[in-house]
Amino acid sequence: MNAIQEGTRIGFRNGLMELAEKRGDVVLVSTDSLLALRGEPFAQKFPHRFIELGIAEQNGVAVCAGLASAGLTPYIGTYAGFLTMRACEQMRTYIAYPRLKVRFIGCNGGLLGGNREGVSHQFIEDVGLLRTIPGFTILCPADGNQTRQAILASADTDGPVYIRIGSGREENVFSPDDPFPLGKIRILQDYGDDIVLFTYGFTLGRVLEAAEELKAKGVKAKVVEAATIKPLDAEGIAGVLAKTKCALTVEDHTVTGGLGSAVAEVIAEKAPAVLARLGLQDTYGESGFPDELLDAYGMSVNTITRTAEELVSKKRQL
Amino acid sequence: MTDYIAGLEKQARQIRRDVVEMVYRAKDGHPSPSLSCADIVTALYFHIMRTDPKNPAWEDRDRFILSKGHACPALYSALARTGYFDPAELVTLRFLHSNLQGHPYAPKTPGLDSSSGSLGHGVSIGLGMALAARIQKKDWRVYVITGDGELGEGLIWEGAMAAGHQRAGRLTVFVDNNNYQSCGTVDQVSGPYPIAEKWAAFGWHCQEIDGHDMGQIIRAEEEARKVTGKPSVIIAKTIKGRGVSFMIGDNSWHKRVYTDAEYAQAMIELGDTA
Repeated sequence: MNAIQEGTRIGFRNGLMELAEKRGDVVLVSTDSLLALRGEPFAQKFPHRFIELGIAEQNGVAVCAGLASAGLTPYIGTYAGFLTMRACEQMRTYIAYPRLKVRFIGCNGGLLGGNREGVSHQFIEDVGLLRTIPGFTILCPADGNQTRQAILASADTDGPVYIRIGSGREENVFSPDDPFPLGKIRILQDYGDDIVLFTYGFTLGRVLEAAEELKAKGVKAKVVEAATIKPLDAEGIAGVLAKTKCALTVEDHTVTGGLGSAVAEVIAEKAPAVLARLGLQDTYGESGFPDELLDAYGMSVNTITRTAEELVSKKRQL
Repeated sequence: MTDYIAGLEKQARQIRRDVVEMVYRAKDGHPSPSLSCADIVTALYFHIMRTDPKNPAWEDRDRFILSKGHACPALYSALARTGYFDPAELVTLRFLHSNLQGHPYAPKTPGLDSSSGSLGHGVSIGLGMALAARIQKKDWRVYVITGDGELGEGLIWEGAMAAGHQRAGRLTVFVDNNNYQSCGTVDQVSGPYPIAEKWAAFGWHCQEIDGHDMGQIIRAEEEARKVTGKPSVIIAKTIKGRGVSFMIGDNSWHKRVYTDAEYAQAMIELGDTA
């Protein structure tokens, strides 16, 4: 029995320390982000494998290219947008293109992750940006336990891996021993074939709750977690949609380019279905408490439930 | 020693001939920025660096990053002429399915230690390699050539500050100070001067040399090697288009294709290497 991981940042740190115990190639790279990553125990235990580079993310990622080309496996972590936006070119041209084994830990994913910091520190585009870059693996664990498991599960993944985490305030949905389903969707609730609710990350608990409310209202939903956004389990998604033909995506991310877009692509190419997408509707967030932000921007249990009901009735009218 | 230097100079002429040949055949590429760094590239691959062309992945090899990746014809020539691949392959530059991409792509080209092309990355990648040596208790050294126009990239200075702070003594950067960038002279366009003072302010050991004097290049590197606890920068005054008279002072040769007559003239000026 593994210990419960209190939030995604601790889950990351603990997973990394477990890996570092076993593997001499694991290196932690900080861009003045050691505290945000809760990484002090790593730095204390493995001082020769900890590199502090200061507030300079492009340099941090390019240094990782050098480290990885010389056989090390760097884990670089800071706020998600400082990697995926400020250092986007370095991630593409110097890591993904030459297929280097670098791991990126993006904190403050979504409104839940950025919460009171406001838009400069709330990242709702990271998944969509990286989805366009060939060769990236994108993992979005739902909680601290899954973050630890994702770190362990992706240790041998070729090429770059992006792991989206939050602020540390995520609710625990999984037990510490649940494995991370690398590359596969996972059906977490199955009340029937009226609708499939797709989600990942910090909205998972809300979607599970919505499935219960829908059940009480006589709408039978499946809850499918797509924690690996890339490479997407398109066959798995098409498979669950074959009979249901009705999909609602929920993500703490803009609907442009994220899971909503990814599922729309699968629907268009492989599995015709009606679709609605919840998440940020091509807009920015603002400061606020984590849960009230998700409620305010279309990811409340109520909105999920109501949208699902509307979608099911739309399907029935077709 | 004089004969030895003369041998290196002959090798540099071969690299220049290859550059002209490659750009002429490809009908594309950056000839004059390749010629300005040809002597430094020659000194690195034929004298300074510890490499084993028969074993390109040799862990303990010294590493090189051409941060001004558009000058890759010179680098590809050096790799071919030191035996990483057949020089006959050089003329495939920029053609479909070639191992010689328009800008360096490490997984495709034997002996290439790093991708490059978008400017500003060499110092940081080199720092990463130097830190990897430290972590793995290896003694390899890392060499980088940047442009002078390239010094406009903020990332250069992020890398410079970090390498100074990390006391990355195994890292040596040559600045190919040919005084030109794409749209004009560097002092007109971007204003990098004074160059040495900027690096010194970040904790680097600085030297200024004539980047076409093989003896000076070699001695400066030997000097850099003696310095421990700080990275080294060697600001090499160079001439863009060096070796071909009609290219010098005409910045259109930054990226320009030779006519048949220009090609013939350039080859005559460069002379044979027998």
